[in-house]
Amino acid sequence: MRALVIDDSRAMRRIVSRILAEIGYETAEAADGRQALDLLEAGERFDLACIDWNMPVMNGLELVVAVRARREWRDLTMMMVTTESEHGQIVRALAAGAHEYLIKPFTPDAIRDKLELLGLVPQEEMA
Amino acid sequence: MTLAADTFSFVADLVRQRSAIQLESGKEYLVESRLLPLARDAKLPSVDAYVRGLRSVPRQHELERVVEALTTNETSWFRDVTPFRALTDHVVPELLASRPGTSSLRVWSAACSTGQEAYTIGMSLLESAPKLRVHITATDLSQEVLVKGRSGRYSQLEVNRGLPAPMLVKHFTRVGTDWEISQRLRSMVTFSKHNLMHAPPAGGPFDVVFLRNVLIYFDLATKRDVLRRAQSVVRPGGFLLLGAAETTIGIDDGWERIPVGRSSVYRLNARRAA
Amino acid sequence: MSTLAPFMTAQIEAIAEEVFAAMVDGEPGHLVPLPAPAELTDPLYAWVDMHADVSGRALIATDVTTAHALARALLGMPDDEPVGEADLVDAFGEVANVVGGNLKALLPVQGTLTLPRVGRPVPALAGATKVDEVALSWRGLPLDITVWQI
Repeated sequence: MRALVIDDSRAMRRIVSRILAEIGYETAEAADGRQALDLLEAGERFDLACIDWNMPVMNGLELVVAVRARREWRDLTMMMVTTESEHGQIVRALAAGAHEYLIKPFTPDAIRDKLELLGLVPQEEMA
Repeated sequence: MTLAADTFSFVADLVRQRSAIQLESGKEYLVESRLLPLARDAKLPSVDAYVRGLRSVPRQHELERVVEALTTNETSWFRDVTPFRALTDHVVPELLASRPGTSSLRVWSAACSTGQEAYTIGMSLLESAPKLRVHITATDLSQEVLVKGRSGRYSQLEVNRGLPAPMLVKHFTRVGTDWEISQRLRSMVTFSKHNLMHAPPAGGPFDVVFLRNVLIYFDLATKRDVLRRAQSVVRPGGFLLLGAAETTIGIDDGWERIPVGRSSVYRLNARRAA
Repeated sequence: MSTLAPFMTAQIEAIAEEVFAAMVDGEPGHLVPLPAPAELTDPLYAWVDMHADVSGRALIATDVTTAHALARALLGMPDDEPVGEADLVDAFGEVANVVGGNLKALLPVQGTLTLPRVGRPVPALAGATKVDEVALSWRGLPLDITVWQI
């Protein structure tokens, strides 16, 4: 399974990618919404996108809206991973089409729990 | 407050034997902070005193609590997911079908800890059967976790654990850095102190009992006793939900195992085991 | 009009505790409050500015060597691996970002956060008054969080 990690902080991208890799994902990264869209437009396919909110050029909320506007990307599950933690912000993100929302700071277990809720934990292949 | 060396080595050995987790030197503060609630619960002034007591009279249940305190992080909501789906999609419809006209449901969340399971049951039932009057009895041995459960107030780290974001915004409001569950949900749950070794709690007879990830800490004879006591407060045809790796099979034949999706639920046979 | 007074010491400590437990150390217990700020011998600063109906700044100060250790811990690097400038700025800045973001959420009015910055000395914030200061010890090393309001 493939995940796209979108955050303007390289440290954060590294942390999230590492957690997802340990869960069994192949990961790719983007530093802002525009870069993420470029990857999708180029035909890259992902099962999961972990999206920061506050990024330059195109922020996370704008990215969610842009992805939801395209039928061909309907299978992409989007989880916001952000410091924005006000009730109203979470409502906005879900209304815009984000499937899940994780507040920073988070633990590796928190990511795993959310993926279990979404049915997105890669199963071990039987030999 | 510094820990005595032999307190630390006793705990480290115990944890390593039971869980393979290594507590190296330098982790004394962790033992101190994790066991202090247990010491307070036992009305002892220090972790050293608590562990001294444990070493002179080692009780299985208490030793397991120590291991759990050092090896568990936060508890999660909707833990394992499937039991709650089993509850809404199979258990409740079955109960309503077998007792038409029922307008209320009684659930027992045993060893409820800080209440995530009890409130998850509440949220699940509010979503799937909003007209049902639901009474949830949540019990635990530790007074401290009951106080927290009653407050319905959780930190950001705690609400990050397995709680679907739509449930968070629907049922919680922010209070400072914390999130507090709605008054409606708090009113559905009664928290009370209870020891599984003793007679069952008030609040029954129950239609559903959640006894998840508790039996694993007990030996066979104790498992039997706990299940027998649970039976006595479950309605005939009522349900028992256990943890993912647990079963009543080989322990208590009063229950019928019903596979539901990838998990199982257990239904009390109308004819009780002799 | 909001004030940044909601940032009581206890809340700043709680936020710092969560950030460090979850993201830096992987477990609680490595961050303890100090009775007074310790002297920093070679300070480095990371900060975010907040804008609601009132403006302010959340500032983290620590020694350069501590900032390196923090970056190493956050990025999961071994003790002997050197931390590059970019990684240092990025990691230390991210800690300020997460702490500041959680402080911002305490404001009664929805606000915005600037991107984090790392450097020294800290650019002055004209007309700012100190609202709160929390002195901490992380793995025995001093770390200071200050909140300012304009």
